[in-house]
Amino acid sequence: MRRYSKLYWQYFKARIKVMMEYRVDFLIGVMSVLFVQGTSILFIALVFHNVDTIHGWTFYQLLFIFAVAMLGRSLEHTFFDNLWTLGWQYIRPGNFDRLLVRPVNPLFQIIAERVQQDGVGSFLVGIIVLFTAIPHLELHWGIAEVMLLIVMIISSAAIFLAVNLFFATLSFWMVDSLPVMYAVQGMNDFARYPMQIYGKGVRFVLTWIIPYGFTAFYPAALFLDGSGFRSIGIWTPVVAIVTLSIALLFWKRGLRSFVSTGN
Amino acid sequence: MRKYWEMAKSQIQLDTAYTAWYWARSASIIMRMLIIYAFWHAVYENRTTISDMPLDTMITYIVLATLLGNYVSGVGGQLANQVRDGSVAIELMRPYNLLDKLVALDLGSKISGTIRETFPLLLVAFLFLHINSPTSWLSLLLFIISALLGIFIGTQLDLIIGILAFWLHYVWGLRVLRDAILAFFSGVLVPITMFPSWLQMVSNFLPFQSMVYVPVAIYTGQIEGIAALQAIAIQLVWLVVIIVGIRLAWSFAIRKVTIFGG
Repeated sequence: MRRYSKLYWQYFKARIKVMMEYRVDFLIGVMSVLFVQGTSILFIALVFHNVDTIHGWTFYQLLFIFAVAMLGRSLEHTFFDNLWTLGWQYIRPGNFDRLLVRPVNPLFQIIAERVQQDGVGSFLVGIIVLFTAIPHLELHWGIAEVMLLIVMIISSAAIFLAVNLFFATLSFWMVDSLPVMYAVQGMNDFARYPMQIYGKGVRFVLTWIIPYGFTAFYPAALFLDGSGFRSIGIWTPVVAIVTLSIALLFWKRGLRSFVSTGN
Repeated sequence: MRKYWEMAKSQIQLDTAYTAWYWARSASIIMRMLIIYAFWHAVYENRTTISDMPLDTMITYIVLATLLGNYVSGVGGQLANQVRDGSVAIELMRPYNLLDKLVALDLGSKISGTIRETFPLLLVAFLFLHINSPTSWLSLLLFIISALLGIFIGTQLDLIIGILAFWLHYVWGLRVLRDAILAFFSGVLVPITMFPSWLQMVSNFLPFQSMVYVPVAIYTGQIEGIAALQAIAIQLVWLVVIIVGIRLAWSFAIRKVTIFGG
């Protein structure tokens, strides 16, 4: 464990050096994410400019759900973004073999080889949105609630990671599973809105198959009084542990059946 | 002209060879449509109109805007990659105009995308989301003209990303920024008429609403009669301005290539 944290630190320093080489790019990255997240907030604001509630949910309640989603996603985006490149950057060009001959866990190497600075931008937006929403929600905030919120956000990040890892692992069989990851990722937009607005099928998928519901709506509903989803929301950390375990087992299975593309 | 058509055809063949992305894109657009449908139904729960648009008009608008929104970006990213890895230098020596070649490839992709993605998805939208048909034959015709102009504007404007790559390295960030600006100001997310009035004013002076909002609003009948013809005239002006502007910026940018050497 100590060896790995030391190693991660070394990787991290190297990444920071690269980032500092391209400072303008760093700024563009952060700005672009600010803008992207900004547009989704603006979209909601525009809609609420014209209506008061959506299915009984107020603007600030929706903002709170958005904030949980953004914070969880930004943690995952910052530290685990390199999984997206497993297919085209590692397996297809044969670079994955290089990771296998080193005496360090290959999954660790992939994750450590990149820190995605853009995640910092969305983290900032998430914090801003969170603190915009909270004063309007009439919640009681004690130490326990703050801790609970942090646990929920970390669980949300873990579920994002688990889903991504699971579908990235498909690359071991199909060389590059990027299109699959892209399509699955599109589903997390569902989770930003109250689940009641969807039909049974969509709700079932987002709860039991690809549990994106637990990355935003369910854990957020835990804090929003009278939403009726508290009993589901409380399961978020358990869902996180289970999905992450499944994804890791699947990764190990994939690793065993990995055949190099050759060079 | 002929050689560019051959390039476009080769791109169509290339696209049909990669089916994984095709299914991924179609699946994610269908999911977006599902979200749109559920979301707007919830928004309209206690009311009949928003900005004078009833629910069916709104859903028609958003679905068409989402589909048309797939056309607004182009090959700017590809050009940027060529600039970054230096292959642009070789491309410049070849007997064609690089920008025109890229536009031809882009139009090739868009033609195959229309047949393979847009038409089937449009059919799905008609059957399952019950979107409206155009208000009249005339508005359908004007919609098609306006949509084509919008697509040309998008294709040309996108080349800016590639030109900026002469100075900036982080192309992915630029593309994300472009996507966000386009999604918002082109009218893909919500009709421009839902903006507060000051933002509508701002949008009127930008080329982005010509790409999606104008054609779709012509389809749904929000812009009609003389106003529709005016809007199309403005699109034409934008198209010319952007084509000229891009060529000027390009001739300025490729001087950097000779400075770097081969």
